[in-house]
Amino acid sequence: MSLARYIISRFFQSIFIILIIIIINFIIISSAPGDPVQFIAGDIAIYNPDLAAYLRAKWGLDKPLYERLLIYLTNVLRGDLGYSYRYSEPVINLILERLPVTLLLTVSANIMAFVIGVLLGVYSARKIGGKSDTFLTVLNFFLWSTPSFWLGIILMMFFAVDLKILPATGLIDLRNPKTGIWFYLDILYHSILPVTTLTLITIPLYYKITRDTVIQQASEDYVTTYRAIGFSEDVIYRRYVFRNSIIPPVTVFGVHMGFAVAGAALIENVFGWPGVGRLLLDSISTRDYPVILGIFIIIASSVVLTNLIIDLLYAILDPRVRIEKR
Amino acid sequence: MIFEGFIETFKKLVKDRYGLAGITILSIMIIIGVLAPYLPLPDFNATIFHRFIPPSPDHPLGTDYLGRDLLSRVIWGARISLLAGFVAAGIASVIGIILGTIAGYYGGAVDIIISRIIEIFFVIPTFFIALTLAAIYGSNIYLLMIIIGVTTWPVTARIMRAQVMIVKEFLYIEAAKAVGANDLRIIIKHILPVAIQPAIANSILLVGNAIMIEAGLSYLGLGDPNYPSWGRLIYEGQPYISTAWWISVFPGIFLVATVLGLNFLGDALYRILTPRISNIRT
Repeated sequence: MSLARYIISRFFQSIFIILIIIIINFIIISSAPGDPVQFIAGDIAIYNPDLAAYLRAKWGLDKPLYERLLIYLTNVLRGDLGYSYRYSEPVINLILERLPVTLLLTVSANIMAFVIGVLLGVYSARKIGGKSDTFLTVLNFFLWSTPSFWLGIILMMFFAVDLKILPATGLIDLRNPKTGIWFYLDILYHSILPVTTLTLITIPLYYKITRDTVIQQASEDYVTTYRAIGFSEDVIYRRYVFRNSIIPPVTVFGVHMGFAVAGAALIENVFGWPGVGRLLLDSISTRDYPVILGIFIIIASSVVLTNLIIDLLYAILDPRVRIEKR
Repeated sequence: MIFEGFIETFKKLVKDRYGLAGITILSIMIIIGVLAPYLPLPDFNATIFHRFIPPSPDHPLGTDYLGRDLLSRVIWGARISLLAGFVAAGIASVIGIILGTIAGYYGGAVDIIISRIIEIFFVIPTFFIALTLAAIYGSNIYLLMIIIGVTTWPVTARIMRAQVMIVKEFLYIEAAKAVGANDLRIIIKHILPVAIQPAIANSILLVGNAIMIEAGLSYLGLGDPNYPSWGRLIYEGQPYISTAWWISVFPGIFLVATVLGLNFLGDALYRILTPRISNIRT
């Protein structure tokens, strides 16, 4: 298969997967027993049938399911994710408003976790079986087993409630709003705790895979050969083993980046971080279906596209991939 | 023969540092959970004490915002969280093993369909799907177990598929086919006993994963309000972290310890049951 044909076929596969995801989500959400109209039109006590009927017609909820699905799909293809029931604003605007805030949290945490995790993983692998390796391994097991929200609460208790050196919640200091450069520094200041929490939770992902890969690489024949030639351990590791071990963690990094737009809903919830994750949680609790669907589509597309890019990079770098996938 | 294999695996586990730590922690938690109804504790929902009593001899872990004894709630929490974890992981493992085996054994169109489904599960945020389902269909602990089970099976399926694809090429499978054994018999008698080990190790990791997901859902207020799972206890304590830290801290310690034990155990099992993991990974 030629590279061009491979790219085209992977591209259409990706589109197909996104389409399936939209349909599945649409069906799950539409089959829900609850009625979104009731959330807006109010309780039975103050329920106004005329208003409910008006809203139902306005949102097309009086049409059969397949017809709604078709309308929705055509709209999505045109880049229109519909209007929020609750905010009466285009869904895409609601998401784009919160996306930078979420990316600040997830992207910076992912990058820091990658750097720290890979460095610790390489270090651990070189000291395999030693005290520092055992310590790091157990520490990573702990972080892997800790729920993000609980770690967030503990850090908040310690640094915000007890020591009072960091703000507990929010994106900016609402009581004392800053301007200019101080506005951004304020955001940075508020992001310390959530970013630290997310970084700590994500480190084990990179630590484990790096350590495993380096250990496996270090047992390869070429390492023995280089040792026999007389290369120093530092040179062998830095120049050869590390370079051969970096692909798996980089792949994980890429895949994880795809999920970055999903935010870290649990951590956003702990720290009152006004990101996409929180928007999703709020939309779920208020049955704001267009927003839920819109966010799912954005997440799925971002993950699928990241995977596609990773696959294509592989195909370009390593011709064997194209042959295997046939 | 299966029993002997079990004893042998257990012996190896006890010799492994992480395996031993995992078994110890998990056994303690399971014993606590099983014995919960027989321990001399106040009822976990009885609001009969003062509110916000700090940890003290009468209430080793303090009381919560409604005046309920936290020790009793945390111990009952072990029962709820472990039950939820094991049932959900059980559901996920059964689905994953069956679908993975079918895909790996039959190949062709069946494999393509199942693999695509697995692929879709890997790109959708399953936690949010679980969240949406829990929000839509109500917060019932049994429903949560099913929801977690049906959203976490793909990893098992992928492992199982890869394993079966390797094992089905072995000569003795060919021989079994030659003497006319049917597919079901070949799969159950000849393939699964050889291929299932990594899926078993994975199912232990799934238990920890399921406990974490249940905790996450409960923390967002979607847990079953009638049962004090650890996630729910942390959720209940969050508004009071500046005045009554113990309500959120203690359940969290139990939760982390349990999941840590499960991860130790699952990881050790993986190493013991699949000595050359790198060859088997997809």
